[in-house]
Amino acid sequence: MFDWLANPNRFKRITNKLEPFLIVISVILITLGLYFGLFDSPKDYQQGDAVRIMYVHVPSAWLASLLFLSLAISCVFYLAWKHPLADIISSSIAPIGAMFSLLTLITGSLWGKPMWGTWWVWDARLTSMLVLFFFYLGYILLSNAFERKIDGSKSASVLAIIGVINLPIIKFSVDWWHTLHQPSSILRFDGPSIDNQMLLPLILMITGFSIFSLYIITINVKTKLIEKKCEALLLKSNLREFV
Amino acid sequence: MKTSHSSWTYIFIAHMKRDFLTNSRSLIDLISIIGFMLLIILLFPLGIGPDKEKLGIVSNAIIWIGLIIAILPSLEKILQKDYESGWLDQIATTDVPLEIVLLSKSISYWLIVLIPTILSSPLFAILLSMELKYLPWLILSMSIGGLGISLIGLNGSALILGAKRGNILLPILIIPLMIPILIFGVGINEAVKTGESPFGNLFLLMALTLIYLVISPFISALLVRIAIGR
Repeated sequence: MFDWLANPNRFKRITNKLEPFLIVISVILITLGLYFGLFDSPKDYQQGDAVRIMYVHVPSAWLASLLFLSLAISCVFYLAWKHPLADIISSSIAPIGAMFSLLTLITGSLWGKPMWGTWWVWDARLTSMLVLFFFYLGYILLSNAFERKIDGSKSASVLAIIGVINLPIIKFSVDWWHTLHQPSSILRFDGPSIDNQMLLPLILMITGFSIFSLYIITINVKTKLIEKKCEALLLKSNLREFV
Repeated sequence: MKTSHSSWTYIFIAHMKRDFLTNSRSLIDLISIIGFMLLIILLFPLGIGPDKEKLGIVSNAIIWIGLIIAILPSLEKILQKDYESGWLDQIATTDVPLEIVLLSKSISYWLIVLIPTILSSPLFAILLSMELKYLPWLILSMSIGGLGISLIGLNGSALILGAKRGNILLPILIIPLMIPILIFGVGINEAVKTGESPFGNLFLLMALTLIYLVISPFISALLVRIAIGR
């Protein structure tokens, strides 16, 4: 299946068809999620209206971790099979993941000020999320630090695979260290401990955000494919002139 | 050369000898690292104020952070010189296992650079008015954590081989990896201070270092092969 999709032209044809669906579905889901989240869900009995920040905070945190995992998987594909499309995909994922982890940190600290009384605490989960952001940053910087793009991609792929160690730390940090950040309330062995009226907008937002990032990633990948084609054409014409 | 087990130890010792020789010819590197660390330590009392109690609380952490910052500029050199002179290319083309060579490089870095710096920490402890009964634990924790740091440093050094502005990039790449070592390393003395058993943190630090000891040579060898293929 990967071989079949790995052909850039076929990839472009399929994503061209998929793109309008992706953007429409994600806009619908995010609008619905925002409506239910902001207007039609109950206030938290302790947190009041501030709980509504969660509907942006939790989806972006999930996506930041999920995108890092997909980044690492695509890096494995790149290192193992050296397929250029895998490298293009991972370099398209990285900035989006970085933005989501930054969004998580910002919304978290906006929520933390009224609730915890401080913008930032050195809690295990907050720290590991910050470290995730630095892994994204390191990946982007390292992949652009070489004269030839391909050199950076390989080193940066190894860095991304090392960085996967951080993901279980983020996931389980709230269980291992009992710190300020509340434990997870959705992915639990005994079912979600969150009220259904809050769970619905959360799930809508998470799916909406995922589809939206998929949409941006496909656009990114397509842009990079076109860039590569342009470079190749330029090189060809220059060569012809030269000869 | 035969690559039987006995010759692996031979390779390991031969490369350690080489590193010891090349480094002992230029002790100025080591002296500058210790001097740099001294200056970092010097900045803290000037910034925090010379209050002995305040300094006593943070002295343990300051010495750890000072060690990490002081060795950052030298990490790049673990592989850079050998890469530029083509020595690494030659090693990679022989049937000498690259992992063994890189492991010997990071262990010799630990012995040549980190251990002398750590052994000069009584000086820093006095400057920061740290109680001397914590000193043995500090030296023990820094020696064990130092091995982990040098193994991570080897990875970082291999990551930036041939990069533009690698020396700026290196701290951003490897400081996130050093965070666990710092946490458990500082935790040892904090436990001693509050009268708890330091062994929990000590064993975690040892475990982390052992994990790095196993995986780091392989990751670095992969990175060096990528760098040489350029």
